[in-house]
Amino acid sequence: MEYTVGSIAPIFLAPVIAFVINAFFGRRLPRQGDWLAAFSIFVSFIFSARIFSDFIFGKFATDSYVHKTFTWFDLSYGTQIFKVDMGIYIDNMAAIMLLMVSGVAFLIHVFSTWYMEHDEKHGRFFIFLPLFTSAMLGLVLSDNLFSLFIFWEIMGFCSYSLIGIYNKKEKAGDASIKAFMTTRVGDVFLLLGIVALWMTIGSVSYVDIYAAIAEGKFAGQTVLGISLATFAGVCIFLGGMGKSAQFPLHVWLPDAMMGPTPGSALIHAATMVAAGVYLSLRMYPLMVLGDITWFIAVIGAITAFGAATIALVQTDIKAVLAFSTISQLGYMMIGVGVGSYNAAFMHLITHAVFKACLFLSAGSVIHSVHEQEMPKLGGLRKHLPYTFFAMMCCTLAIAGIPFFSGFVSKDRILGDALYFGFMSGQHPLMAIVPILGFAGAGLTAFYMFRMMFLTFFGENRSQQSHNDHHHGHGHKAGSHGHGHDAHEIHDEHLDFRSNVPLLILTLFTLGFWYAGTLTGQSFGNVFGKKKEWFKILVEAPKVEKFVNKPRQQFSGVDSRDKTELLPAEYHHQTGYAGPNPNEHKIHSAHTIGAILSIIIAFAGVFLAFLMYIKRVVKPWSDTFQGITTVLKNKYYIDNLYVDIIIKKGLLGFNRALAWFDMGVYDRFAVDGWAHVNRVIFKASKWFDNVVVDAIGVDGTGVAVNLFNLVLRIFQSGEIQFYFVMLITVLASYIWTLKI
Amino acid sequence: MFMQLLFGLSALLTLSGAIAVLVTKNIMHACIFLLASLIGIAGLYATLGADFVAVTQIMVYVGGIVILMIFAVMLTGGKDFVSRAQNLLGLAPSMGNKWTYTVGLLVSLVFLLTNVKLISSIVKSHPAKTFGNEFPSTVNQLGHLLIKDHVLAFELSSVLLLGALVGAAMIARPRKQ
Amino acid sequence: MMSLASYLIISLALFVIGLAVMLSRKSIVAILLGIELVLNAAALNFVAYSRYVTNNLDGHIFSLFIIVIAAAEAAVGLAIVIRFFQIKETIHIDEATQLRN
Repeated sequence: MEYTVGSIAPIFLAPVIAFVINAFFGRRLPRQGDWLAAFSIFVSFIFSARIFSDFIFGKFATDSYVHKTFTWFDLSYGTQIFKVDMGIYIDNMAAIMLLMVSGVAFLIHVFSTWYMEHDEKHGRFFIFLPLFTSAMLGLVLSDNLFSLFIFWEIMGFCSYSLIGIYNKKEKAGDASIKAFMTTRVGDVFLLLGIVALWMTIGSVSYVDIYAAIAEGKFAGQTVLGISLATFAGVCIFLGGMGKSAQFPLHVWLPDAMMGPTPGSALIHAATMVAAGVYLSLRMYPLMVLGDITWFIAVIGAITAFGAATIALVQTDIKAVLAFSTISQLGYMMIGVGVGSYNAAFMHLITHAVFKACLFLSAGSVIHSVHEQEMPKLGGLRKHLPYTFFAMMCCTLAIAGIPFFSGFVSKDRILGDALYFGFMSGQHPLMAIVPILGFAGAGLTAFYMFRMMFLTFFGENRSQQSHNDHHHGHGHKAGSHGHGHDAHEIHDEHLDFRSNVPLLILTLFTLGFWYAGTLTGQSFGNVFGKKKEWFKILVEAPKVEKFVNKPRQQFSGVDSRDKTELLPAEYHHQTGYAGPNPNEHKIHSAHTIGAILSIIIAFAGVFLAFLMYIKRVVKPWSDTFQGITTVLKNKYYIDNLYVDIIIKKGLLGFNRALAWFDMGVYDRFAVDGWAHVNRVIFKASKWFDNVVVDAIGVDGTGVAVNLFNLVLRIFQSGEIQFYFVMLITVLASYIWTLKI
Repeated sequence: MFMQLLFGLSALLTLSGAIAVLVTKNIMHACIFLLASLIGIAGLYATLGADFVAVTQIMVYVGGIVILMIFAVMLTGGKDFVSRAQNLLGLAPSMGNKWTYTVGLLVSLVFLLTNVKLISSIVKSHPAKTFGNEFPSTVNQLGHLLIKDHVLAFELSSVLLLGALVGAAMIARPRKQ
Repeated sequence: MMSLASYLIISLALFVIGLAVMLSRKSIVAILLGIELVLNAAALNFVAYSRYVTNNLDGHIFSLFIIVIAAAEAAVGLAIVIRFFQIKETIHIDEATQLRN
């Protein structure tokens, strides 16, 4: 297919149009325009599927890409170039990501039309959701850091709007501001990194950056004493940290659960938080050059383990899912850090699918029971069978049980982490990365199954509470009335809006879609010669191949390399950037890692089973009270930020600045003018009274009077005097004019 | 010879009459002295060969206007305006105040000087021309001129006289008190 | 002896004396006498020029008209004097100051 404006633009524009229409006319549309939003995402999905099929099923090469640009503005003057180009950059990774984002977004939109039906913020939700989707799609399509940043910020704004959508609840407003501000801290660094790159390279397009890395333009460039690549890499990663909720900028994501559940599903599970990982993947050559990949891996490991520990003691379903999101994002960052480019991206895709499904299922649970706290749930297996099935499959995926997608991607990451930590000759402290990674995997399995067992198994505990929890939505039309003391649980029917999206997402949590084989190894080939298609197609960019690649305008001819990859290549590709001399070690690391992760996953499930089903082992929150308190307070990081840094540090600084501004500056520069004005007023009053009034106004009258006195002499009325004057004047004429 | 004698006498009469008008206190005397001055001017006309003008002067001015003035003096009381001045200058033979007398003379002096300047330039440009004693009659010519060249002025002046008559009669008519 | 200059001098003197009469006497009729003198001086001037400078009789014509005008003016002026007397009971010129200031 030809990549023209007509084939690319609808991906991005259809949701924007839906946003505009809903924003202005939403109230007048039937059902406040939710079908319009869903349909627009469907349009995007169709076009994305077209691109995906073209890249994946067409003739291809692994490093082929489509890069088309147009000049946004060109303010160059003479030799000073100031030109910013915008465009699209689609390679295999972007094609897969487009399909995932648009597909998941479409399913979430369909689900939301059922979920938000009776919500008071129904219309508002469907204004921001398509805008957000279009921003994410634009971000995936964009070819340079500027447009990425633009879409980044649009997503931040939509996240803010959606978190704070219940604007009557004070906590929602606080949470939305917290989200925005925390990601803002990251965004400042991102912009700093972008500017640093732009000032030295002259362009922020990915292609140009790769070419610059290959040509060695980064050598010797320093910013503030640090090498440019390191500085830019760290700054860009900090932006990713903010958006992808890595430690220490993770504090906003648990509070973001104040927003409606489908919004959380799209934003805080599948797409926006993945944008940080996507950015790190795009900028991976820069990170490698700047030698900060170890830093990324360590941060990712800390996040993965820390969030998993906090999730152990959470009682709200959505909080458990939020912390699990943070934890899995940590895994993705571990993947980026240890060099496992392909597996990190695969984990991004698989996580998006099963996390979205988990959130939607949680939404379904909450919608039916009107209860979020797990101590009050239980025994919902009978009432919500489809939801239970979907959630079970996704939990198996996230826990890393073989045959499921989560196992494929997480296992590969952990294998690479094992190699990185123990065998690749890095600093011995880097061993912490795989240790934390495996520990986190075990904890993940444990707490996810804890959630499942508490929610769906056992006896229903919601009848015991007499509290009315209003979540802002009413009942599904029909069967059950509203009791006074307890809520009736709505049994689930197979509804295409509320269940089918879940089931479709569940379908894609099976592992073979991604690995091409049933087990993730060579056994059980499903796709024929194109097995391991994912591993082959997505690889870290080889920067040498980007040097001097011609750039195409949008109307140009497609110049992709249209050669088909030979089947023989499949067997030797290992997913790394190029053939690796340490292949034997890597292979053994993977084998050890696979065995270890299977053992740990099953151990976690078993422990949860013992604790919550058989009740043989006491829940460990009873035994470890001290640690539980620390975990419940999320390691007191929130307190650190708010109480210590903000209240003690920054507020004092703020007060000092305010004192300066109001006491010094305002007093002199602003109020001082009042004194000056008074003096000016007095002078002008004097001027007005004396000069203008007395001299000018009255003076003219007096002058006229005086002159009148003079003139009166000549108006004596005596005729002979008039004669005299006449003669005098005549004589003077004659004497002066010499007639 | 005769002409020069006539000229001299007429000039003397004219000027002395004029000065007398200026100086005398009694206004009746002033009118009579004016009459004498006008007769002198008529004589000067005669020396210039303007026979018709001279006769017209006597008929109209002397016989008409001065008489009119005398009538007016009679009708308005004819009082003598005695100067009420105390010092020497106030006793000067004039009907007016000493100050006006002074100012009048001064102004006249100024005007005199002015005109002398004018006349001297004219006199220099026209050398003295002495004529013989031929004085043709002017009546015929004047009659022709009045009807042919200056007929407009002639007619207008008749209208003017009419207007003056009616106006004078209207202004001075007796009013019922 | 009789040249243009002499006639001009006479008419000048007559004019100035008439002016002096106009300016210094206080009775309105006396002022009218002065006006007559002035007019006559002008007429004399015209006739003198007609005799000594130009050879036509335009000066005579003008003098005739001066006489006519003077007559008309004297008639009206005296009518005004009489009216003035009827109102003010005096013909002192300083009583005629209603245009003062």
